[in-house]
Amino acid sequence: MSKYIIRRLIQAIPVLFGITIVVYAILLAAPGGPTARFANNPKFTEADREKFKKAWGLDQPIPVQYCRWMGICNPENEGLAVFIGSTGWPAFLPTSISGTTNGLLHGDLGVSIDTGEAVASRIARAALPTFILAGNALVIWILVALLIGVYAAIHRYSLFDQAATVFAYVGYAMPTFWLGIMLIFLFSGPGLNILPAGGMTETRLSPPFGSDTYWPYFAANPATAIVDIVKHLILPVFTLVVVNIAGDSRFIRSSMLEALGQDYVRTAKAKGLPVRVVIFKHALRNALLPVVTNIGLEIPFLFTGAIVTETIFSWPGIGRMTIEATRSFDYPTLMGLLLITSALVVLANLIADITYAIVDPRIKY
Amino acid sequence: MSASMAAPGLLADRPANDILLDVRDLRTYFHVMDGTVRAVDGVSFSIRRGQTLGIVGESGCGKSVTALSIMRLLDIPPAEIASGEIIFEGRNLLKLSEDEMREVRGNDIAMIFQEPMTSLNPVFTIGDQIAEAVMLHQGLSRKEAWNKAIESLKAVGINNPERRVKQYPHEMSGGMRQRVMIAMALSCDPKLLIADEPTTALDVTIQAQILELIRMVQDETGAALMLITHDLGVVAETVHDIAVMYAGRIVEQGSVDEVLLSPKHPYTEGLIRSIPSRGMRGQRLNVIKGTVPNPFNMPEGCNFAPRCPYAFEPCWTLDPQIEEADPPDVACWLYTPAPGFLAPKRGAQRVAGELASGIRS
Amino acid sequence: MTPVQPGSEPDIVDLIRKEGAVDYEVGLESLNQWQLAWRRFRKHRLALVGLGILIFFIAVAIVGPVFMPFEFDVIPSPDKIVYQGRPPSLQHPFGETGGLQRDVLLLVINGARTSLFIGFSSMFIGVVVGTVVGSVAGYFGGLVDNVLMRIVDVMLSLPLLFVILVASRFFGNGNVVLIIIIFGLFSWMTISRLTRSLFLSIRELEFVQAARAVGLSDRRIIFRHILPNAMSPIIVSASLLIAANIIAEAFVSFLGFGVNPIYPTWGNILSNALTFIPLGNWWWPAFPGLAIIFTVLAVNFIGDGLRDALDPRSKE
Repeated sequence: MSKYIIRRLIQAIPVLFGITIVVYAILLAAPGGPTARFANNPKFTEADREKFKKAWGLDQPIPVQYCRWMGICNPENEGLAVFIGSTGWPAFLPTSISGTTNGLLHGDLGVSIDTGEAVASRIARAALPTFILAGNALVIWILVALLIGVYAAIHRYSLFDQAATVFAYVGYAMPTFWLGIMLIFLFSGPGLNILPAGGMTETRLSPPFGSDTYWPYFAANPATAIVDIVKHLILPVFTLVVVNIAGDSRFIRSSMLEALGQDYVRTAKAKGLPVRVVIFKHALRNALLPVVTNIGLEIPFLFTGAIVTETIFSWPGIGRMTIEATRSFDYPTLMGLLLITSALVVLANLIADITYAIVDPRIKY
Repeated sequence: MSASMAAPGLLADRPANDILLDVRDLRTYFHVMDGTVRAVDGVSFSIRRGQTLGIVGESGCGKSVTALSIMRLLDIPPAEIASGEIIFEGRNLLKLSEDEMREVRGNDIAMIFQEPMTSLNPVFTIGDQIAEAVMLHQGLSRKEAWNKAIESLKAVGINNPERRVKQYPHEMSGGMRQRVMIAMALSCDPKLLIADEPTTALDVTIQAQILELIRMVQDETGAALMLITHDLGVVAETVHDIAVMYAGRIVEQGSVDEVLLSPKHPYTEGLIRSIPSRGMRGQRLNVIKGTVPNPFNMPEGCNFAPRCPYAFEPCWTLDPQIEEADPPDVACWLYTPAPGFLAPKRGAQRVAGELASGIRS
Repeated sequence: MTPVQPGSEPDIVDLIRKEGAVDYEVGLESLNQWQLAWRRFRKHRLALVGLGILIFFIAVAIVGPVFMPFEFDVIPSPDKIVYQGRPPSLQHPFGETGGLQRDVLLLVINGARTSLFIGFSSMFIGVVVGTVVGSVAGYFGGLVDNVLMRIVDVMLSLPLLFVILVASRFFGNGNVVLIIIIFGLFSWMTISRLTRSLFLSIRELEFVQAARAVGLSDRRIIFRHILPNAMSPIIVSASLLIAANIIAEAFVSFLGFGVNPIYPTWGNILSNALTFIPLGNWWWPAFPGLAIIFTVLAVNFIGDGLRDALDPRSKE
C-alpha cells in the first residue's frame, strides 16, 4: 500500500509540473498584465511602468520568469550566471546547498503584486474561512444527499422519489450564483431582512475575521462570535448544499438502486434478515463504494467551486481571493492558488483511491 | 431420515400430515408497463417431508417465480400473488406477516440461487454471511455462530474452513462459492431446501460435484428438496419426482421414471428428444419448434398448441387443466377427453423409453 | 420435425411485433438507424418537452431581436428617475432593471442569442477537437495515444473552472468569439476519452479488419467506418456539454470576466444585480436565471432522450 501511495505521488509530480507550465504560459502570454491597474492613473508615466515591470521581473522573457518562479533561475544574477545560487551551486538545488531562497523549489510561492504579502501566507490566511464554509457545507450536503438518495431508492417511484427527481433536475440546472442572489434577495432584501447578505462577521460588532484584533475579541466573547459566524454561514452553506446535493443524491440513489437489485440482496432476504439489516448492512455498504470515490473527487472542487459562493456572499476565503487576483492580474497569487488547487485535485484522487481500497475488499494495490 | 427415500411418487401411501409444502392454484402476475404477465398461472403441487421434487422447464416458464413466490421474495409491485395458497406445515405462507415470514425464510425454507458469483455479498466475509443468519434464527452468540459457520463449511466439503471463513467471496472460485451458498442454506437446518438452477452457472465438472453434494446433504439432513432446473439430466440424477412446467403451468408430473421413460405430454417428449445422446451421433438434434408464447398474448386453448406436433381441434379452443386429468399427471387433450370432442387421437402408447435411456446412461 | 400447424407462424410474428423487436427485423427495409432513434426518442416524453423548450428558446433568440430591437449603445432615457428599477408590469412583463433601467424581457431575449450561440458553438469546437484527438489516439495507439492521453490527464487535473475563469479574463477581453474558443478548448477532454475507448473496441471488429485488408486509407477507415459507429455516445455527451457550457459561460460572465456587457448574456445581465439587493429588485436576476434553468433542463432532458434513443443498452 505505502509503495503504491509513493508511486502515485511520484507520478503526480510531472502532472503538476505540466500544469504549472500550461498555466504560466496562459497567464503571461496574455495582453494587459498587472500594469493595467494604472491605466486610469494619469500620474503613472511610461517610466514608472517600466520601473514597476522591472521590479516584479515582468520585463524578462516568459521562460525566464517561469524559471524564476520555479526557483531554477536566480533573479540576482545576469547572463548564464542566473542558474547559479549564492553559494556557487546550481540554483535549483535545495536551499541548504545553493543558498537560493526564492522560487517554488525552495518552498517559496513568491510575493503578491496586489498586497506585497507573501503568497503562501496570504493563501494560508484565506484558507481558514474557506475550510469553515466548505467543511460545513460538505458535511451537511453529504448527509442530506445520503438521506435523500437512500430514501428515494428504497421508496422508488414514490411521491418523495419523484419530488427528489424534480429537485435534482432543477438543482442541477440551477447556476450557483443565481441561487445565491435569489437567496440574498429573499432573506436579506428589504422584505424579510433576517440574515446578513454577506461577509463573515458583523462589521459593527466585531473586528474582521482573521485580523490581529479578531482573536482577542473571539476569546473575550466566544458565544457571540460563533453565533455571528453561524448567522453569516447559513445562506452560503445553503447555496452550496442545494447545488451539490442535486447531483449527489441522484448518484447515491442510482448506486443504492443498483445495490438493491443485486443477487446478494436477494440472498440476504432469503436468509430471513430484517429489511433494516438487508438495506443498511448489505445494500448500503455496497452502494457507498462508488459514492466514497465520487465525494473524494468533489472535495477539491468545493475549494474552487466556492469561488462563486464566496464572491456573492463576500466570504473572505480562497474563492474570493481568486477573483480578486484574476481581476488585477496578480500572477504570483494566481500561480500559488492554482498549484495548491491542482495539488488538492491530485491528492483527492489519491485519497479517493486509497479509501476505495480500504472499503472494498476486492481492491488490492 | 432416509425413510423419505422409501417410496417416491406414491402419494396415496402417505398420510396427509406428512405433506410439508402444499401449493394450491398459485397465480403470480407481473404488472408491467405493457400489460400483465401471468408468470405463474395456476400451479399446484405438494412436497412431502424429505421428498425431492424437480421442477423442469424452459427459461421463462415460471419455475423461478414459483420458488420466489414460496419464499415471498418478489417485489410487490410489480409482482402480485393474485390467488392461491402456499401451505407450509399447516400455515398459509401468503397470510403470514412479514415478520413471521422472515422467521420461515432461511430457517424453515432455505434457498440456493443460480449465480454463485453474485449471490454472496462482496464486502463481507464468508463467515460473517453464514453467521448472521445463524445468530438471527438460532439465537446463538457471535462466537457460537462463527463456529457453526465453520462446521457447515466443513459439511459441504470445504477444506481448511477455519481459514476460508475469514475470506471474502472474491477469493473463491464459482464452485467454492456455490458450496458456501449451500453451507449457508443448511446452517439453520431447514426443512425445505429450494435450489434454483444451482449448477447452471458452473463448469460441467463442478456441476456434477455440486449436484452430488446437494444430494448428499439432502440425504443427511432429511430436508425436502425442490430442485429447479432446465436440465433434464440434472433432474434424472438428483430427484425422485418431477413436475414439468410450460408457460406458467405444470403440464406433467410424476416420478422421474414415469415421466422420463414414458413422457405423456408432447412438450415433455420434445424436451427429452432435444437432449443429445450418443446414439444420435451424426443425426440432427431434435428441437421444439417455435418459441415460448408471448406472455402478453397467450394463445387461446392449450398454451403449447402452436408448437405441438400432435395438436388437434380441441387444443385450439380449450385449455387443458392438469387437475381435470385422471390421474392428475398430465394436462393434455391427448389423454383427457375434451368436452364435446371425440376421444384422444393418440393414446399413451408412444414409446419414449429409448429416448430417456439416453439421459440415464 | 413435424408439419407446420396452421396458426403457429402468425403467432410468432405477433410475438416479435409485441416485443418491439420488430423495429430491427421488419424496420430494416424502411427505416434507417436515425429514423429508428427518432422513434425511440419520441417515446421519451420529457425529452420531447425539452426539445420543445429548446426550439422555443432558439426561435426567440433568432426572431426575438428582430421584433424587439434593443439599442445597446443608447442608454434609455428614463421618463422619470426610477433608480431602483420597476417591478413587472403589463408594459414590461419582466420588469425593468435598476440603474440603467433596462427592460429585463429584452435583456433576456437578447441574452438568449449570445448564451445559446456560445453554448452550441463551444460544444461544437469541443466535440470536433475531442473526436479528432480521441480517434487518432484510439486508432493509432502506441506513442501517439500515450502522448495525447497524458495531455488529457494534465488538462483534467486542472481545476477547470478556475482556468477557464483566468483564461477568459486574460484572453477573452469580452470578445464572444474568443470566449467560445476558450470554452471549446477546455471542454474536449471527456469526449476524447470516450471516443478513444470507442475506437479501441471498434477497431478490433471484423468490418474494420476487412476494410484494412482491402487496403483503405487510415483516414477513410476512421471517418467512414469507425466514426459512424461511435457516433451515438458522442452525440449524447455533446448534448450534455451544451448545458455545461451555458452554465459555465453564465458563471464567468456573471463574475465580469466573460462577454462584454454590451452583448447581453444570461450571465452578464446579472453582474450588477447584486448591488441592487437592498432595493429589492428581485425581477432583475430572477428571469435571466430562470431562462438558464429552463434551457439547461431542456438540454438535459434531450440528452436523456438521446441516450435512450441512440444507446439503448446504457442505463441510468
